[in-house]
Amino acid sequence: MLRVATTVALFAASAFAQDLPVVYRGATVWPGDRAPITDAVLVIQNGRVQTVGGASTTIPDGARIVECNGLVITPGLIDAAWDGSVAEADGNEQSTEITPALRVLDSLDPQNPALARARNSGVTAVHLMPGTRSVMGGLSVVLQTWASDPAAMVLRDEASLRLVLGAEPSMGNRAIRGGNVDSIYYRRPTSRMGVIWSARRAFFDAKEQIAETQGGTKTTRTTQEQRDLSVLTRVLQGSLPLVTTARSEQDLRTALRLADEFGYTPVIDEAQDAYLVLDELQKARVWVMVGAPSASAVGGSAGQDGAEPRFATLKHLQDRGIPFVITTGSNTNATELVREAMFAHRFGLGRQQALAAVTSQPAKLLGLAERKGRLEAGMDADFVVWSTDPFDPASTPTTVVINGNDTTSKQ
Amino acid sequence: MNSTRRTVATTALSAFLFAALAAAPARAQDLIAVKGGRVHTMHGPVLENATVLIENGRITKIGPVADIEVPWEAKVLDATGKVVLPTWVLAHSQGGARGANERMENVAFVKISDALDPASPFFEDCLRSGIGTVHSIPGNMTLLGGSGIVVRPFGRTVEDMAVSTQSGLKLSLQPQGGGRLLQIRKLRRALEDAREYLADFDRRKAEFEQEQKSGAIDKDKKWTEEWDRTKKPVLDLLQKKTRGWLYVPGSAEVPEAMRLQTELDLVLVLGPQVHRAVDLLKAAKHPVVLDETLEFFETDPETRKETKIRVAKLLADAGIPFALSLGQSGPTSYPWWQLAACVRQGIDASTAYAALTTVPAELLGLQDQLATLEVGKLGNLQIVTGDPMQATTWVETVVLEGQLVYERSKDQRLKYLLDTSSTGAAASGSK
Repeated sequence: MLRVATTVALFAASAFAQDLPVVYRGATVWPGDRAPITDAVLVIQNGRVQTVGGASTTIPDGARIVECNGLVITPGLIDAAWDGSVAEADGNEQSTEITPALRVLDSLDPQNPALARARNSGVTAVHLMPGTRSVMGGLSVVLQTWASDPAAMVLRDEASLRLVLGAEPSMGNRAIRGGNVDSIYYRRPTSRMGVIWSARRAFFDAKEQIAETQGGTKTTRTTQEQRDLSVLTRVLQGSLPLVTTARSEQDLRTALRLADEFGYTPVIDEAQDAYLVLDELQKARVWVMVGAPSASAVGGSAGQDGAEPRFATLKHLQDRGIPFVITTGSNTNATELVREAMFAHRFGLGRQQALAAVTSQPAKLLGLAERKGRLEAGMDADFVVWSTDPFDPASTPTTVVINGNDTTSKQ
Repeated sequence: MNSTRRTVATTALSAFLFAALAAAPARAQDLIAVKGGRVHTMHGPVLENATVLIENGRITKIGPVADIEVPWEAKVLDATGKVVLPTWVLAHSQGGARGANERMENVAFVKISDALDPASPFFEDCLRSGIGTVHSIPGNMTLLGGSGIVVRPFGRTVEDMAVSTQSGLKLSLQPQGGGRLLQIRKLRRALEDAREYLADFDRRKAEFEQEQKSGAIDKDKKWTEEWDRTKKPVLDLLQKKTRGWLYVPGSAEVPEAMRLQTELDLVLVLGPQVHRAVDLLKAAKHPVVLDETLEFFETDPETRKETKIRVAKLLADAGIPFALSLGQSGPTSYPWWQLAACVRQGIDASTAYAALTTVPAELLGLQDQLATLEVGKLGNLQIVTGDPMQATTWVETVVLEGQLVYERSKDQRLKYLLDTSSTGAAASGSK
């Protein structure tokens, strides 16, 4: 139902977009996956990129020209783990620890100021997952940070399921020891072991369901159980990515162990200790998301949930050829996404790789590579004009364009 | 303690009765020449390809490489292709203190120097960030919170680190378990009590002298009553012998802070949300100290539209000089990030630099000693790899009072965090 609505809305949006070509001329363009083009010509029309090239690129007749001398253009940034709760939404369902069928989309407020905040910082698409307080909190959604119509913001519904390992889903929980169950905190799990058992049990149930379906037997289940299991079944059958949030080394190993045990390929999220399990990550051929590189510190521990982040983690991933993205993630100290990429660059990651980790790489990870994350002919016209080098901490976005629309003045 | 350390600086320190300890350090390199760098003196134009000569802990020469003869015995630090700056000065910090707030409110008699841990990673991080002077003072969760100390982030004991031991007294308008007005009332009450005590003391002393004159008391008898030690720092504050550092949590407290400033010698240490009181702050007597949060969002309750509030820019536009603070962790803990944030807001670079050099030095009364690279000042400088406001720039070397105290090439902890060789050893074989 929603998919149909989305398609129609997207179609409508592109129909409204300007028909005359617009040319952004004179900027340095970082296409997102290759070397920059200086004194570039970027032509957009009907919400898409027509051409990107050097100064000699033909400028179409009747085009409106935007002079961008001294400015820098990058693809719109994509945050593959964006915490939309900054404003008010709470992404944690606490009634029980395993709620795979819940959809973040159902609680999405398109007027959430956090979306405008992300957009104004150069982020044009976000992957919004449930919070980190449930073991399996539900299904995520990929959004554009602006569209002519709220329904058109949805780029991919049910993009992934989130599994959170470590102590966080058990924090604050209390075991039931007689008496009245009068608090939501009376729930499992209460330990790291309990968190992982909850996940494992859910997968056992799903496997059982698959076996039953194949064997023709049927167990009576409630609608909710059926829905939950059908989501898990999709994970086990490889049609739904399982984002596994695992920060410390032990949780990273557990994430890979669970994946091995149940036969799926996870996406590892918030992998602060990734530098300790490089061989394993490489072997498992997984994508790795690294949250808020800026939050690492030399003195004291900046790690969450027992992790000890090191500056060189991203460089290690790069050297090993492990695909990775940089996100803002669940770290409350995270700064704007472009600054996170800047910190990665400070800590040794090449400029192009650091930029790719917030543009073309997350587009690939989220299944948007055909439309987003790079600037080349045929791609969606999602890009940011920066006042100066975006890796200069004093830079600011002067214009943010989504599907050919200048969103700068839009709320 | 080396005797030279006690003597040299006292005269130069300004009028705020700081018991100065600063001077040439105990084990200073006799002669250091920083040669060939681009020198930001923070005083006049940037000098290209210049030499800074430091002798016995103080700058003795500064100028073009060609004009300055480097004595053969000098230790030469090559700064070719690099940038040389004074070390940063922090006007207000709780870093490196174990327990920066006494839980009782009226504790003017405590001293932060008793809580400083010289081995704290904070001080190590200071050197790594090019910070050479830290004003450590009790936190904001207090009423009359105790005295501060100015230290350099190097040394094994607080005595080693001390630059100036009486930097002033902490006061706070941050409500402590009551409302805003209650906090103001408590502070007023505490100051009034001290004033009464002072008047009473003076009255008793005058009576004693009167009685002695009239013969009722033996002529040889001396006035022996001493000041109440728990009250002495507040009495000094009332008599303007010491400076107060008043925390002003938000715009609403600014009017009261301005009133207090008419009675006492106060530096205003601002919380993040003071943007609505910028006009009032124009009348502030001293430069203000900004919160580490330099920008934040404010949501209109009606429209839910968010506005980015750029506090530093608002103050700069109003012509109010300010010093910057650093956060405890994350990006705001880096001086380069805070400086760049100012420039991003549209403040010119020299104002930003001043907020971590000359302005805090003036607030600490150490403007004759610190904050610029000039002949006669302490040999405090940092050599950085490039533009001081870029993320890719690193602090290479820190010299404090002529002593080489930090070299990046020997920073084991930084090496460990940036290392791509150990766990990544097999990386060379990958694709």
